[in-house]
Amino acid sequence: MPDRYPGYDVLSKRNTASWNDASRQVIDARLAIVDSPEFFDERKWRTLRAICDRIVPQPAGRAVVPIAAMVDRKLADDHRDGYRDARLPPQREAWRRGLAALEAAAQARAGVAFHRLMTVAQDALLRDMQCGRLDGPEWDDMPADLFFRERVAHDILAAYYSHPVSWNEIGFGGPASPRGYVRMYFNRRDPWEAAEAKAGHEAAARDANENM
Amino acid sequence: MRTNDGLIAATLGALAVVAGAAAITRKSAFGSAVGRRHQPTVIAARRLNRASGLIAASTLLDSGIEHYRGAFHNRAMIAPLVVSALTLAVSAHGTRDARPVAHRLRDSVYAGAALTGLIGTGFHLYNIGKRPGRFSWKNYSWQNLFYASPILAPSAVALAGLLGYYSERLRESRSTGAPRVFGLPAGRALAALTAAGLVATAGEAGLLHFRGAYHDPFMYVPVTVPPIAAALLAETAASRPRKPRRLARWWLRLTTLIGFVGAGFHIFGVHREMGGWRNWRQNVLNGPPIPAPSSFSGLALAGLAALGLIEEHPHA
Amino acid sequence: MTVESNQLHDALHVPRGKDGRAPDPLRVGGWMPMREYREDEAVDFVIVGTGAGGGTLACKLAEAGFSVIGMDAGAWWRPLEEFASDETHQDKLFWTDERICDGDNPLKLGSNNSGKSVGGSTVHFAMVSLRFRPEWFKCRTLLGYGADWPLDWREMWRYYGEVEQALKIAGPVTYPWGPKRPRYPYRAHEINAAGWVLAQACEAMGIAWTETPLATISAPRGRAHPCVYRGFCVTGCATNAKQSALVTWIPRAVTAGAEIRDLAMVGRIEVNDAGLATGVHYQREGQWRFQRARNVVVAGYAIETPRLLLNSATDRYPDGLANSSGLVGRNLMAQTNQGVYGVFDDEIRWYKGPPSLTLTEHWNYTDTGKDFFGGYAFMAQGPLPQAWVSTQAGNRGLWGEALLREMQQYNHQAGFKIVGETLPQERNRVTLADEKDQYGLPVARVTYSLCDNDKALVKHSIDFMSRGLDAIGARDIWAEEDDTCHLNGTARMGDDPATSVVNADCRSWDIRNLWICDGSVFPTVGGVNPSLTIQAIACRTGDRIRQLAALGEL
Repeated sequence: MPDRYPGYDVLSKRNTASWNDASRQVIDARLAIVDSPEFFDERKWRTLRAICDRIVPQPAGRAVVPIAAMVDRKLADDHRDGYRDARLPPQREAWRRGLAALEAAAQARAGVAFHRLMTVAQDALLRDMQCGRLDGPEWDDMPADLFFRERVAHDILAAYYSHPVSWNEIGFGGPASPRGYVRMYFNRRDPWEAAEAKAGHEAAARDANENM
Repeated sequence: MRTNDGLIAATLGALAVVAGAAAITRKSAFGSAVGRRHQPTVIAARRLNRASGLIAASTLLDSGIEHYRGAFHNRAMIAPLVVSALTLAVSAHGTRDARPVAHRLRDSVYAGAALTGLIGTGFHLYNIGKRPGRFSWKNYSWQNLFYASPILAPSAVALAGLLGYYSERLRESRSTGAPRVFGLPAGRALAALTAAGLVATAGEAGLLHFRGAYHDPFMYVPVTVPPIAAALLAETAASRPRKPRRLARWWLRLTTLIGFVGAGFHIFGVHREMGGWRNWRQNVLNGPPIPAPSSFSGLALAGLAALGLIEEHPHA
Repeated sequence: MTVESNQLHDALHVPRGKDGRAPDPLRVGGWMPMREYREDEAVDFVIVGTGAGGGTLACKLAEAGFSVIGMDAGAWWRPLEEFASDETHQDKLFWTDERICDGDNPLKLGSNNSGKSVGGSTVHFAMVSLRFRPEWFKCRTLLGYGADWPLDWREMWRYYGEVEQALKIAGPVTYPWGPKRPRYPYRAHEINAAGWVLAQACEAMGIAWTETPLATISAPRGRAHPCVYRGFCVTGCATNAKQSALVTWIPRAVTAGAEIRDLAMVGRIEVNDAGLATGVHYQREGQWRFQRARNVVVAGYAIETPRLLLNSATDRYPDGLANSSGLVGRNLMAQTNQGVYGVFDDEIRWYKGPPSLTLTEHWNYTDTGKDFFGGYAFMAQGPLPQAWVSTQAGNRGLWGEALLREMQQYNHQAGFKIVGETLPQERNRVTLADEKDQYGLPVARVTYSLCDNDKALVKHSIDFMSRGLDAIGARDIWAEEDDTCHLNGTARMGDDPATSVVNADCRSWDIRNLWICDGSVFPTVGGVNPSLTIQAIACRTGDRIRQLAALGEL
């Protein structure tokens, strides 16, 4: 995937007027999350990490975002969303059951643990889950497609896109208080926003981003 | 523009402008050297240089801020900065020049400024018309009048140029009787021009203060005091005064003052935006425009010059 | 998350409206004096909920001289110092207690539409402040669907004006639709690129558009700063530009002598043998307590209001309070919120500024060319990354490389979403589930299914908006077909005790000192965001209560 905002690092604004103390505290804490489980046992942790790697395949040569640990903390705190499809159990139970069921499917299909599968096979299993083609006693009436949409995709992607690394990737401005934005019109960028690499002018974008 | 470069450039520019403005408004330039020995036309011309310089200082800062906000997306957006800076410089020169002759460089800079202002107005009109894409008369909406290129702003540059150009003509006027410029009585014509400038500038302040919903009662000052000054000037231009126009004089002095006080209000306005001066990079752009009110001071000074001419020569 | 600093969560654990003082949200670390009432002394009004309905009514009643206590289950925040620019962290503003959703179209609640803090959902709403189309107040008679309101639009027009002034709504100089309205107190904000995309599309489709009237100030107001266009509006405004109940009605109410109790979850309304409400049982600081009151107002929004009424059932009222019609909890109306999106060559950067700076109400005010009842507005959008990925993944099923590639278009994306009218249906309802929440109260079960008319409206809107995007050269246009937003209904007002729960004054038919004042009372929802109408109704209710008291009819 091309680097669309070369050299852009939202953290370089940490000590500017774009960040208030509250934002600094929140992001610092998020960056301090340790990549190990508090909620899941070792086995489910390995499955979860393998799933996270497929839902968000992170580019090599970049600090890895501990997505699985972020999902794990949401469950450790049992921090809920405020609604639950009646066909799903509460989130902790949904995750436990779903991960066990996916493991069972991997064992049944290939005789190995999910995290040992080739990525192609992992993707195939996840796609089957997404389409509701996985079932069995392990699921206990929990629809696999619903689990995929409401828990797997929802929780993993919410975790990734709460991390500054993902903001760099998509050119999002990140925290913005007290300073917001001035230039509102098409193709106008405030000096504290990510510069996009235009074909043939990548160096200019990098220069702008690194000297923000 | 990189942060530091921009910051340094802005600081140097501001310092230059303040120094220039200080130079033209300095009393000593007029003090003892200005006396009965000098022709009234030259005195008026130098006062006009001062007025022109003050307006140029205001437009230099204002267009600098506003065009920076517009990210100088069109190279021509640098033009008003260059022209205003030159106008400021030649005006400073003019205030010290007591010779009763026009100066070729000053003359051409002033003419250039007047022309730039007119072209700029055209640019701004066109720019608004094609937002957000196709040109349409519907685009002259409140939204675009508030937030797109300000229609009246370039005319401040034109005004600075025009007043300066007028000052050169005034120096040239050789008539022993009432001085005339472009075949018109010099004082009256200048009073009329200044009155028009005051009304237009008050119109712009009115528009932008309407955008700010007149949230502070002091925001009514620039839409009341300068128009009254304009009316007094117009009345002076239309009549043949026999005694000193004391009310007009004091009202113009008041208008001069509110220009500077207004800038002070705007500085406070930037402070009371979110993040205050710590967030200056946003608030100087999104808060009230600090240099804008001093245009009133410049125009009021021009009005005082006109008043001086008229009082000196009842037929001027 | 666990490790996220706790002091930013203090307000969730320690009540602030106590000991004779209340937080002053407009000053860092500020406090203001607050009157306190004893629990054994019956106050004139105890109001459950302090959002658009309850917060507004608390202010009106306190200013009319009544003794008032407002209770809110949520925290009393100080936005300037406690709101981070962060979607995850700001979850603290939402009702994230469990609710169970079923039906053909199970709703998404929480961050989508449910607030839990002093100020309620107005702390995180998108500030869109629209008036109803006048005909909607008589839509059964005039337009042939839904139910008539017991209110007259001309009277409501006056109350809309009162609310717009109170919130210093920033809106267009002239509004293109409906009868004449007074000028908005503040001018419209500068339109961002995402807003201009809507303007272009409307021009291309030959319909009118305008700047959205927003409850965020475009110029200073008192100690509140004007908007800085930071774009985090729906996660709470750290600038205090947003004119939420938290920074408008609540401080006014406290100044006028109301007491607001934060972190006070009301679980039950007590009714005596005479069939009158005597007060509320509420939990605060881990204890169940009882506050006596001469009148009880329920203002918990379309889910918590029926939940509380149902949970207050007694032998005398076995189906819950105010429920002789059987309509408490029924006729829940979630407005549809479908969207279309496309990619542009231009940089849009839709994270800047309030998300919906422009809108069109064309299909609210046009009755021809429709194969459905009701109307919809559609508005420019500006989702933050988490909201956007949830839209992408939830609707298109994207994940992996395909998703990451799509997300990289973020700054070139623009689109519109509707606020669509849905019809009242008795099958759409709030009931009590067996599961219990952290207070030991049964959680709400929310059952929701769209009807054919709702689906026809959605189809019409998606088709129209897609053509609009296509007409201005957007690429990769796609539709988000599954989303809903605001919640209304569940305790409708009307003229007939058999077919409504409250009368025009928001007074329940069954229990004369029990009132309901929030979006629950809407008989229909219209195609506009409900907050302005809720506040206008609250203002009217406040005035009516004062009049009734003067007549001795309370």
